[in-house]
Amino acid sequence: MEYGYYPGCSLTGSAHKLDKGIKQIFARAGHSVKEIPDWNCCGAFEYGDRNELLNFSKKNLEKARGHFHEIVAPCPACYKNLKEADEAYEFGVIHPLDIFDESFFAWMKQGRDLKGQVFTPYYGCILLRPRETALRNKNIMEDTIARFGGEVAGEAAKDRCCGGNQIFIDKSVTEKLSGIILEKSRGTLVVFCPLCHMALKTFSGERKVIYFTDLLLHIMGDKSVL
Amino acid sequence: MPKTDNAIELTGYLRQDFSVCLGCKICASVCSVNDISGNANPQDMLQRIFLGREISAGEPLVRSCTGCYRCTGACPWEIRIPDVVRALRHELKIESPFEKAFKGSVALFGRVYEPYVLMKAVPFLLKGGYIQHMGRWMEYMGFHLPHKVKRT
Ligand code: SF4
Ligand code: SF4
Repeated sequence: MEYGYYPGCSLTGSAHKLDKGIKQIFARAGHSVKEIPDWNCCGAFEYGDRNELLNFSKKNLEKARGHFHEIVAPCPACYKNLKEADEAYEFGVIHPLDIFDESFFAWMKQGRDLKGQVFTPYYGCILLRPRETALRNKNIMEDTIARFGGEVAGEAAKDRCCGGNQIFIDKSVTEKLSGIILEKSRGTLVVFCPLCHMALKTFSGERKVIYFTDLLLHIMGDKSVL
Repeated sequence: MPKTDNAIELTGYLRQDFSVCLGCKICASVCSVNDISGNANPQDMLQRIFLGREISAGEPLVRSCTGCYRCTGACPWEIRIPDVVRALRHELKIESPFEKAFKGSVALFGRVYEPYVLMKAVPFLLKGGYIQHMGRWMEYMGFHLPHKVKRT
């Protein structure tokens, strides 16, 4: 399948590791990902005027028109904004987790298992709500961890807020909220969002915080991040 | 027009849309701000908006809503409270130095170029005690040139 790729600003900067991981995994699954030409910022959460915010993503959809039907956006904020901007359902806007179905795992070459290791998949906010833009399978990472023999923990933490959005406004809010997640979870935290990654990394001390792509590449036998 | 009405208009809601609110306060029971301070009540804020009262910049949610949509996910009507809060912040012209730098970068480059945002926010970062986290951030951030960053 050929996907239009919307990396968004974080993935070209601080979340470059997530960007690289997505490209590797998609390439191995036989999918091509090509950047939407000259894409612009999606506006994240920073604009109070809904039309102004959606117009950023409408511009991106316009740039994708004629090139792609399916668009993949790994950053949860970008994903939500693009999906909401596609009011006519002209495109299939997906999150990378949407491709982890049976056929994906059927071809996936397993290099390692997760036996004896504990993981908390931490989805955060935007992948789970609002309902219209939420992931179809809200247990996809639990299923994946269990499939490869890992222990899943932290059910009570998975959908809480890390406070990442407040980190550059009032970081004590982020520290407190991330602290609750660290407390209510066990083992390695598996995250999906550049902002969650930043918030949790900032306050995680010795606890490991990794992207879901790192975990998949680990299972595939790549140089380990665990 | 009062500021609150202007804000509602920015969300695409109408003031009377909030009349469906059941007053159940499920939103307050899951609100992330209450994990910190215990004084946030989205239901009460919506009711005051519905009654045409003004909301001030000191409102706990206007100050600290994290945009987590826990309230929306739990609300029987799925009212998008964080969208309302963001619109209120817009209308009340509340903007942190970081938000300003973010928007500045988007206006200039069409994208958020992180080194530009960090540079712009340096005084705030120094004052706010963020420097202690720099080491941690550098572990994964790396430095990148704005070679892909273009004017739109
Ligand atoms: S989005 Fe804002 S109001 Fe709603 S639960 Fe989260 S912090 Fe509370
Ligand atoms: S959860 Fe929804 S219906 Fe219930 S009080 Fe809050 S806004 Fe009103």
